[in-house]
Amino acid sequence: MNEPDVVTYVKSTAVLLGIPMDAARASRVASHLQRTAAMAALLNAANLSVEEELAEIYCPTLLKPNEYNLKQP
Amino acid sequence: MNIEACDALAMAASVASGETTARALLDSCVKRIEATDAKVNAFTDKTLSRAFAEADAVDARFTNGEALGPLAGVPYAVKNLFDIEGIVTLAGSVVNRSHAPAAADAFLISQMKNAGAVLIGALNMDEYAYGFTTENTHYGACHNPHDLSRIAGGSSGGSGAAVAASHVPIALGSDTNGSIRVPASLCGVWGLKPTFGRLSRRGTYPFVYSIDHLGPMASSLGGLALAYDALQCCDPLDAGCHALEVQPVMPRMNHGIEGLRVGILGGYFHDHASRAAREVVALAAITLGATDEVIWPDAALGRAAAVIITASEGGSLHLNDLRTRADEFEPLSVDRFIAGALQPADWTIKAHRVRRQYRGKVNALFKDWDILLTAATPVSAPMIGTDWLDINSTQHPARAAMGLLTQPISFAGCPVVAAPMWPMQTSGMPIGVQIIAAPWREDLAFRAAHVLAGAGVAHVKTVNL
Repeated sequence: MNEPDVVTYVKSTAVLLGIPMDAARASRVASHLQRTAAMAALLNAANLSVEEELAEIYCPTLLKPNEYNLKQP
Repeated sequence: MNIEACDALAMAASVASGETTARALLDSCVKRIEATDAKVNAFTDKTLSRAFAEADAVDARFTNGEALGPLAGVPYAVKNLFDIEGIVTLAGSVVNRSHAPAAADAFLISQMKNAGAVLIGALNMDEYAYGFTTENTHYGACHNPHDLSRIAGGSSGGSGAAVAASHVPIALGSDTNGSIRVPASLCGVWGLKPTFGRLSRRGTYPFVYSIDHLGPMASSLGGLALAYDALQCCDPLDAGCHALEVQPVMPRMNHGIEGLRVGILGGYFHDHASRAAREVVALAAITLGATDEVIWPDAALGRAAAVIITASEGGSLHLNDLRTRADEFEPLSVDRFIAGALQPADWTIKAHRVRRQYRGKVNALFKDWDILLTAATPVSAPMIGTDWLDINSTQHPARAAMGLLTQPISFAGCPVVAAPMWPMQTSGMPIGVQIIAAPWREDLAFRAAHVLAGAGVAHVKTVNL
């Protein structure tokens, strides 16, 4: 992706997220994003299987007995 | 007592024996800070009323014949992203000045207090921990005590500088991508980035939920171990605290390294280290009897994934303020925060998936090795304001490059002791060596560090300020 394309992306997504963006800032942000894009290319080249997944980010906690709110018969 | 030549172990021992008092130690540290911190700019807040109350409480316990904690009377300070009751947690920002003062101490400050340590104040850092230099525009750059024209490293730069300047023998910091190890390396002090999930992060201002670590820095290896052992506690209220038991390192630190397999990281780590950085790694390797080069799996890929997760989580965390108060952010990092907020979700999700695969590959490495060595920074401390670094004839953005050698390690969650070492070719400036062990094996890293300290190749130097 060339620089004008990245600047266009930055301006569009900034509108979506509600971040004010003048031309100078858009250009600086685009420079950072282009450097990150080069790193993302390494990730895209990684050989990931479907088993490489994220479930462990969330872990349900066990309710204590006094936290259940069941009606007594 | 000459506090400049005195570490936490000696201070605690002298208080416990009645040779000195906690108040006398505190007085000495306060005088040292008042005399020299205008040059270093390590402190952003001092908590002297509290400190004198804590010191007097220690002395009262001694007078009453009550048991003292292992850090009784030892002064310390914390990076200003730790909650200190009654003080606004700045996290290096001006945006946070509008927050209410912290209602309670951070969990690790409570642990230090329980051990008898005396909190002197809060320390300078990169805004929201997004940096490796502590060139903080709001509160001023933190200066390296070994050469005031140079950076202290970051983001826990105030922590590294306060220890190097003999303001305090122990400081607490945080490390997401290298923020303890980089200032430890550049300021020439001991630092510990524990296993990811070892120490509770409750009551600290976050940066990257899925990579943030906390840990101590110290003027001696014994002081580092003493602090680390005091900080350990399983905390079910921190979703990121995965420690199931307290595993003190002090009792086994002097067991030597006989039988341990020690390797030297080559490839990526060799390529991104200057001659001076390679020199200290070589000295550490000779001292530990290491000769074999080891290749860390997917180091560049791991760093890339760490950078992407950092940007994404950091940008998301501050999105509301970026919408309305971007002009109040640190000029050196605000555009990176915004870029992170705008990143495609695919990059972040893929980075997390890469991390899972990466963990398996790194853990497999430790089937064959117990300790791995590499430099903590590619170079010694650059001058404040440096934008570009030449590393082996390749130009790198200076502020990002300081994390080249630390990011792949912390992304795997491995514990690292940063040992202060002193190359011949850096005009007296230090470069640290990372002593890396398998996850949850801090004890092995401390054993290797103890050998380096015992041989006199890793140590802290006092400074004249």
